Amino acid sequence: MKLDPRTKLFLAIVANSVILSAPPVYSVLMFAVPAVLLLFEKKWRFVLAFFSVYLASVIGFEYLKTMDAGLALSLFVSTMMIVSHMMPITIVLYYVMMSTKVNEFLAAMARMHVPNKVTIPLAVMARFFPTVFDEARAIGHAMRMRGIRLFSLRTLANPFSILEYRLVPLLVSVTKIGDELSIAAVTRGLSPETKRTCVATVGFRVQDLIVFVYCLLVVVCYVFLGLTGNLLAR
Amino acid sequence: MNISLKNVSFSYTDSLDNAVIKDLNLEIRSGECVILAGESGCGKTTISKLINGLIPHYNSGCMAGDVLLGDKNTADMTLAEISRCVGSVFQNPRSQFFNIDTDSEIAFGCENMGVPREEILQRIDDVVKEFRMEHLIGRNIFHLSGGEKQKIACASVAAAGPEIFVLDEPSANLDLKSVADLTEIVGRWKKAGKTVVVVEHRIHYLREIADRICYVKDGRIAHEWTPAELEAKGAEYAASLGLRCVNLEQLSDGVAGAPSSVILSDAQAESIYETSQLVDVVELGSVEQDLSKRPTTELLVFKDLYFAYNRKFPVLNIPMLTLPRGQITAVIGHNGAGKSTLAQVLCGLCGTWRQKRKARKYGAYLIMQDVNHQLFTESVLEEVLLGMRPQNEKTALEILAGLNLEQYAYEHPMALSGGQKQRVAIGSGVSSGRDIVVFDEPTSGLDYRQMLAVSATLQKLASSGKTLLVITHDPEFILNCCSNVIRMEHGKIAEQYPLQGNQDKLIHAMLNV
Repeated sequence: MKLDPRTKLFLAIVANSVILSAPPVYSVLMFAVPAVLLLFEKKWRFVLAFFSVYLASVIGFEYLKTMDAGLALSLFVSTMMIVSHMMPITIVLYYVMMSTKVNEFLAAMARMHVPNKVTIPLAVMARFFPTVFDEARAIGHAMRMRGIRLFSLRTLANPFSILEYRLVPLLVSVTKIGDELSIAAVTRGLSPETKRTCVATVGFRVQDLIVFVYCLLVVVCYVFLGLTGNLLAR
Repeated sequence: MNISLKNVSFSYTDSLDNAVIKDLNLEIRSGECVILAGESGCGKTTISKLINGLIPHYNSGCMAGDVLLGDKNTADMTLAEISRCVGSVFQNPRSQFFNIDTDSEIAFGCENMGVPREEILQRIDDVVKEFRMEHLIGRNIFHLSGGEKQKIACASVAAAGPEIFVLDEPSANLDLKSVADLTEIVGRWKKAGKTVVVVEHRIHYLREIADRICYVKDGRIAHEWTPAELEAKGAEYAASLGLRCVNLEQLSDGVAGAPSSVILSDAQAESIYETSQLVDVVELGSVEQDLSKRPTTELLVFKDLYFAYNRKFPVLNIPMLTLPRGQITAVIGHNGAGKSTLAQVLCGLCGTWRQKRKARKYGAYLIMQDVNHQLFTESVLEEVLLGMRPQNEKTALEILAGLNLEQYAYEHPMALSGGQKQRVAIGSGVSSGRDIVVFDEPTSGLDYRQMLAVSATLQKLASSGKTLLVITHDPEFILNCCSNVIRMEHGKIAEQYPLQGNQDKLIHAMLNV
């Protein structure tokens, strides 16, 4: 199941604006789309984990929000609220980032007549994140060799040490990665002046249409019900 | 296409006072294959950057003189124009990719040049056949081994079909079979009339193809030979200039200098090592032979080393691994045979949580291929103190002294040279008190002298009672310091033997795997 990168962009924008503004019912309707698409990509483990955490925080929030029990609980409740509101956004972005290849993205942007000067930095960014995660994992490995783990008595006693040990080397290597990636790109002839071709086929198909129609339906429904004052699940 | 460097000087700083390249003149004719050799830091990589246009277009600095490709000056061309006639392969396989999957990566250069889709697909097909890498198609780049990545890098440059190829230590992470493939590829490029410039320490694989070897010293071309001339001067001469051996087949003649640390005559041994299920007591002592006459060696035994990205295709599947204690064991095998995965599982970095917990108990320490990942504190001393428990500055300084690093104790680790960084990483391994130290390709990209230094450090470490496992593709290095060899194939141990008496077998295996 392959979507056109433009559909994904549309999905990301519409889904995130609905998720941020509308009541939870609509956000569930919206992030169901990337969840289903992720299942097509065989990422069922991610989807499962996502839904269990999401449901736990939503239910927990609904159950606990009426209780009045001190600072610790309200901190906990507010954390759950933030989690339940922000998580849908992450699944949408995760799907878009994970499923889009750099060249597809560049080709789709070229079709939309977006200038290369805008798309190339975006493409570099898309390539940058996985590399940073890879790097972070390597640094995590090195830390584990030294007996410094995220959850251990030692880091609990001095939580800032983890910042020093993990983030500082990551920042150092991140600057290096950025440099090396740009070298990789320029020596292979990526430049704003030249016109690219693309081996990947981009184009709209049935599944794109379905996603478009579905997203629009949800939005129309939300706007209509909102205007008539019958917004579900306040 | 001709390359000519005319009176070129370059410095990464603002003035030419301490330039890396000094008044260099180099003429490379069309269709020639030239090796730029020399010790680390002599400026040979800078020369390659001058040719592929990264200098002056990407790296800032102070430059004088002209670099001409054909009849065009690189200073007047844009990088995109230069990239159409010069294809570059870099040393670090991790960061020379712009795509996340292998197919798009191979297509990337062609796409940037605006080649039509059908032709790109055709070229990908050709290149894949030429490089014999059907199994690497459609894979995630992050799941490939270093050597496989290097192959993809070569293939993607080849697909774009430039006139000039610039390779910066392309063989640093390759096994000898992939190196042989590389030889074939370079040979094919040369036959097609392309100009090839290779920056290398290891010359052996190009000795039949290269037209010239230019020895760079202090930013100048100090010597120039044909490969035959260099070979005629003998191995000692090459070694004295810091070059690796010119002919691998000569290695087996010169094995007289085999390591003195070889104690293990055969695998009879008794073991008194037990910490967990994974490390079991094994008694292999045979009854017939008089054990007291033979030098005995303890064996460390690891069980159930298993790892898979996909359950059907395990990357690593070793039911039992035995390592002689206090000795250096080399792990050889193809790129992607599961060597690095073995190291990671052994050190508890990947695998199930159960494997990890067991690994934590017996504790093996991994010195990674890229030591930059492993150094993160403010000073060398702190680096050694970090994993030490209880922290004791005096012991730390003693460890540093043992590695000839005491004068750098208060310097920033990132300010040191590559070899020194590696010794700091080794120091942190020693201070963690682990008995097993695993090295992942400690000599990749090192010149002869640095390689000798590393093997001396390793031998010292082994003689202090540590058990060393070294993943390597470097036959010279194995002959220099290892005492046992494990050959891996498809995630399994294909054979394991002591090195002494089997040197020919080793070289044969490495050349023909």
